[in-house]
Amino acid sequence: MAALEVQDIHKSFLIPAVKLDTVREHILQSFKWRMYLNHRRELRVLNGVSFSVRAGETLGIMGRNASGKSTLLKIITGIYRPDQGAVRCALPITPILDLGVGWNPELDATDNICLLGTVMGLTLRELKTAKDEILEFAGLGEFARLELKHYSSGMAMRLAYSVAFRAVRGILILDEVFAVGDMEFKEKCYARYEEIRRAGHTVLMVSHTPTDIARFCDRAILLEGGRIVREGSGPDIADAYVRSLTGEKCP
Amino acid sequence: MEYPLNRKSAAPHPNGAYLPGLIWTLIRTDFKTRYHGTLGGYLWALVKPLTMFAVLYSVFSILFAMDAYYALNLIIGLFLYDFFSESTKTGFMSLKEKSFLLIKTKFPSWVVVLTSVSSACITAMIFSTAVCVYIAVFKRPLSLLEIGCFSLYLLLFLAIIIGISLAGSVLFLRYRDINQIWELLIQAGFFFTPIIYPLDIIPHKFHFFLYAWLPTAVIQFSRSVLVQGVIPSATAHLMLLGSAAVVLFSGAALYVRLAPRSLERL
Repeated sequence: MAALEVQDIHKSFLIPAVKLDTVREHILQSFKWRMYLNHRRELRVLNGVSFSVRAGETLGIMGRNASGKSTLLKIITGIYRPDQGAVRCALPITPILDLGVGWNPELDATDNICLLGTVMGLTLRELKTAKDEILEFAGLGEFARLELKHYSSGMAMRLAYSVAFRAVRGILILDEVFAVGDMEFKEKCYARYEEIRRAGHTVLMVSHTPTDIARFCDRAILLEGGRIVREGSGPDIADAYVRSLTGEKCP
Repeated sequence: MEYPLNRKSAAPHPNGAYLPGLIWTLIRTDFKTRYHGTLGGYLWALVKPLTMFAVLYSVFSILFAMDAYYALNLIIGLFLYDFFSESTKTGFMSLKEKSFLLIKTKFPSWVVVLTSVSSACITAMIFSTAVCVYIAVFKRPLSLLEIGCFSLYLLLFLAIIIGISLAGSVLFLRYRDINQIWELLIQAGFFFTPIIYPLDIIPHKFHFFLYAWLPTAVIQFSRSVLVQGVIPSATAHLMLLGSAAVVLFSGAALYVRLAPRSLERL
């Protein structure tokens, strides 16, 4: 059964040569609409991307900067709308596109757990029981009442990671989130991630780290210029990505 | 201890089950941040509107001693207009202010607009209670019907504010000076609304135009039930109800139409 189906996704952004942000600018430009139309450049970010992910499968997405990875994830998540094509999800999506998004540095860890947890779809009842587990996983139990502005960036990331991985439902979407904490915490995260996979969650993982894609992904795709240029196993795509960076030809 | 998985993960997300918690958390943390680290803490939320009421009432009671109700009418007008002005201005900027959340996570963006008016709502509730208590203790007893009517006007005012905020918040992402235009309108609207002058000095044939600016209706109706003890007619109530519904639904319709694409402009 396909948990996620992405069909022929196209997405472009219009980049105006003259940026129109205000009512005044719009009115003035409307008098010279020909010039306005001629001075817009279409930036095609995704150009017919299609793939499907089976339930319980982990799909890796690799590609250079500006190859369309983040836009693709935002379309799958529902933050952006595609110009053409469709996304079909059989399960709810938990996006982790950035760690610690929405943190309030003036509040303590407990309040921030509530803030981030509810944003990520946890109910207050779920959070009531999850708070202690989240703090324990992050190893920050004794700092529960400390305001986040006094946390080191590593501590804040550990907390963010713990909240995000507690909120996982259905399909998990990860965008470059494994680069956190020290080695000990990283191993803890990897173990947690394996737990999520074993529990049968479907995962979509974007990463620039070939070892992560090779280690965790059943399958992967390589994006280039908004198109899928290669599909294969995790190690195969990780290898192809490295070759694309060094200019070597793929076998 | 094992870090547990979300056991409901195989089932679809409970339809919006997290939304009440999200709304409550956004309101609570916003309120907490506002008074965080201050000496008076949450007491400021209480002290500020009460002090404003006491100072305004004392000053205007002395300045306009000949008219026993002028000060009270003025204060009700000022506070309701301030509620309208502050909350719509915050509402216009709400999506932009929370853009860091909206482009990285997926939850209904209208929640952000809705919660942005919470702070002004809390102040309005405290101020309303103070005004009602003052009138009941020092002027005349208020009936439950009068308090109920006043509460209804506040609710309808909130619906109008939410409608305007929904429309304004998405329009702001397209036209970045729309908040400046709105501020000018609000300023002009202050003098268009009978706040510092009584409605009676305007010829009756122009009243319709004044009432078309909805804060006028809410302010006049509130003064009527609280100060004069007169309940406006059923027709007047229906017109206010209809106007509030039109503003709310128009704002929501514009929001639904523009919001999905507008988020790309954040």
